[in-house]
Amino acid sequence: MGRYWRTLRRFWSTALAVQLEYQANVLIELLAVAMSLSGSLFLLSLFYGPDQTLGGWSWAQALMVQGLYTVFDGMASTWLRPNLGAIVTHVREGTLDFVLLKPIDSQFWLSLRTLSPAGLPEIGLGLALLAWGSLQAGVVLTLPTLLMVLVMLLAGGLILYSLWFLIAATSIWFVKTWNATEVLRALLASGRYPLNAYPPALRLLFTVVLPVAFLTTVPAQVLLGAAGAPMLLAGLGLAVVFFAAARSFWLFALRFYTSASS
Amino acid sequence: MRIFGLNRRIIRVLLGSQYAHMLEYRAEIALWALSGVLPFIMLSIWSGSDARSGLGLDGVALDRYFLSAYLVRQFSVVWVVYAFEEDALLGRLSPYLLQPLHPLWRYVAAHLGEQLTRLPFAALIAVVFFAVQPQAFWLPSLGGFLLAWLATWMAFAIAFLFQSLIATLCFWSEKASALERLQFIPFVFLSGLLAPLTAFPPAVRAWAQWTPFPYLIDFPARVLAGQPVDLIAGFGAQLAWIAVLLPLVLLLWRAGVRRYSAMGA
Amino acid sequence: MIQVDGLSKIYRVAEKQPGFAGTLRHFLRRRTRDVVAVQDVSFQIEPGEMVGFLGANGAGKTTTLKMLCGLIHPSSGRVQVGGFSPQRRQAEFLRRITLVMGQKQQLLWDLPPMDSLRVNAAVYGIPDGVARRRISELADLLELGEELTRPVRKLSLGQRMKAELLAALLHEPEVLFLDEPTLGLDVNAQARVRKFLAEYNRRTGATVLLTSHYMADITALCPRVLLIHQGRLFHDGPLEALAEQLAPEREVRLELESPVAPDALEGLGRLEQLEGCDVRLLVPRDQLTAVVAQLLDRFPVRDLDVTDPPIEELIGGLFRQGRV
Repeated sequence: MGRYWRTLRRFWSTALAVQLEYQANVLIELLAVAMSLSGSLFLLSLFYGPDQTLGGWSWAQALMVQGLYTVFDGMASTWLRPNLGAIVTHVREGTLDFVLLKPIDSQFWLSLRTLSPAGLPEIGLGLALLAWGSLQAGVVLTLPTLLMVLVMLLAGGLILYSLWFLIAATSIWFVKTWNATEVLRALLASGRYPLNAYPPALRLLFTVVLPVAFLTTVPAQVLLGAAGAPMLLAGLGLAVVFFAAARSFWLFALRFYTSASS
Repeated sequence: MRIFGLNRRIIRVLLGSQYAHMLEYRAEIALWALSGVLPFIMLSIWSGSDARSGLGLDGVALDRYFLSAYLVRQFSVVWVVYAFEEDALLGRLSPYLLQPLHPLWRYVAAHLGEQLTRLPFAALIAVVFFAVQPQAFWLPSLGGFLLAWLATWMAFAIAFLFQSLIATLCFWSEKASALERLQFIPFVFLSGLLAPLTAFPPAVRAWAQWTPFPYLIDFPARVLAGQPVDLIAGFGAQLAWIAVLLPLVLLLWRAGVRRYSAMGA
Repeated sequence: MIQVDGLSKIYRVAEKQPGFAGTLRHFLRRRTRDVVAVQDVSFQIEPGEMVGFLGANGAGKTTTLKMLCGLIHPSSGRVQVGGFSPQRRQAEFLRRITLVMGQKQQLLWDLPPMDSLRVNAAVYGIPDGVARRRISELADLLELGEELTRPVRKLSLGQRMKAELLAALLHEPEVLFLDEPTLGLDVNAQARVRKFLAEYNRRTGATVLLTSHYMADITALCPRVLLIHQGRLFHDGPLEALAEQLAPEREVRLELESPVAPDALEGLGRLEQLEGCDVRLLVPRDQLTAVVAQLLDRFPVRDLDVTDPPIEELIGGLFRQGRV
């Protein structure tokens, strides 16, 4: 276990060193995030007509959902995109062989090899938006809710990671899956708005098949005291199921790779 | 006869080979067509929102607007800056520069080939859409369809020239594609892809009209959906943007090539 | 150290017609075809041996090498490396081997090699002090200095390859699998890599299995060679025996002061080409010294060069002669 920790520290310190080589990227990223967030807020404001509600959610409550979405989007830019996007490159250039020959778990290596600090400001902005929205919505933060929200955020992160990893792992068969992750990203964008803003069929889709609801809507409901224990358990259960699926799919993909690749 | 180094034979060969090339990538292009589903997600939110009444699009008009926005987007997607960057990086650009054909034509042909490959997938998505929302089904009149087609191609021309402008900056800076990323954000919000322009407050709307973005999606989509729209103003604005961008691109390209060959890169 | 018994690898390849219709037909009714990459290969390598692995492109060299590393599972047969079964890829096994691929690199492009070395040290669980000592030793041997702290993208191909070798050897593996380690390097860099490998083998007693397109790599390093053709092993033994078998003749190129008639070269090997002052002769190995002496003696020679035909040509020639 100690070896894994030490490896992780080395991974991330080299990642920081790479980023320092390209300082201008951080500025551009910051500008892009600021523009994108103000655009999203402007768009959200358009949905608030005379009744001042979107699927039963007030403006402040919807801001919480936007904030959570921004946090996860930032997590994707910091962690998922740089790592899981590199799997395709590894397969195409044949350097996956080097990873497989290291005496360390290959999924660990591929999932945590690097970090892109350029995405961190987005996480910060998302958290700030979440805090502001919660304040406006009159959320009373107690220790149990805080713990529950943290658990739900972890579960959401795990679900997002597993989904992304599942798609990235298919690059063992189809070398170009870059576009498949774009489809995932497009569908994830639905998490910007509370689940209730969607028609019933889509609600089902976003809860069960592509559980975007557990990333943004459910944690917001937890903060608002509107999510019951069954919802929490369902979220946790889904996270475990998705992670197990990602793990076993990777082992299956590796078996294929070692028996069929040339 | 040659215009910018083009003649009939070159056009035929270029389009044919690029179409064959793009067919090889049909799986990616299908996924790409699928990743453009954002307008449908937005449609489902707008349909249930109480702000809908302010859009001026009642009944099936909203469905038709967003389907049209999706289709227009599918046939005006531009990626020249990425292709150009890769070619410059891999050293493929130098041989292109030696040929008696403006290299930008090569990219134009690649885009047209890609659009042709995308056509069946986009049509399939439209069929699925009508299967889910049969009441929204409509067929534009021949005249309306041709006008929409023209408007979409003009939108493609504006987007292509705009991105080529950014691509030519690659001759000077490695960060040119970051500019593309930055301009994409206002495009998404102001083009009409996520919300029809009638949803905007009047001040924002008046201001957006002065950017090229509404003429890339909102205008062609309204023409396709059969909405009442000021055709003369729309096409006029599209032409004006092309008239501004085209000479700029050509000038900057020439200066860039001069710099490129001077550097001997 | 390495034991291979009856090793075979058969790929099942899907057959697909080009175009959209072909894709559709393929989707509905898959047709496959078996391709034999490696067939019934057996050999043994003792600890500390340096063995050259020869064969034309696509002969099955890389497939065999990858099976020895555990990257590809054999269809049949048995492989043991250092007492381990490679295909299980146990951490203990992976710590004892290394793979260097000439065309691929594990070093991070944007960072100095030192950063990648530190990552490898952590991954292999090498304490920092030990890692530092090994890096400085290996860097001395490889003649690497401040290159280790310069971004990889700014290194020359030769420097990059040396840094790759350092990264691959940091954990002091007992078995080295080297796939074309000198590919694309200039003559000087090739020679330095060769010298390093010989020295490393002498110091650590590591077992080395090496493929290369450059005959010089093999002649300099490997007393024993394995030759594989169309997936089958058909030579296992000293290099001299193979060289004589493959290239019983050497090529002598001459540039003369003045043109000569073809019959003047009678009895001096087989005449391949005669164009004015340029002459190419094929001379049996055992007569080489005598012939060269006579040539220098009889003709006004401006330049003389003795070469071995490229390995690909040699192997190709062997198979054309039907000696398989």
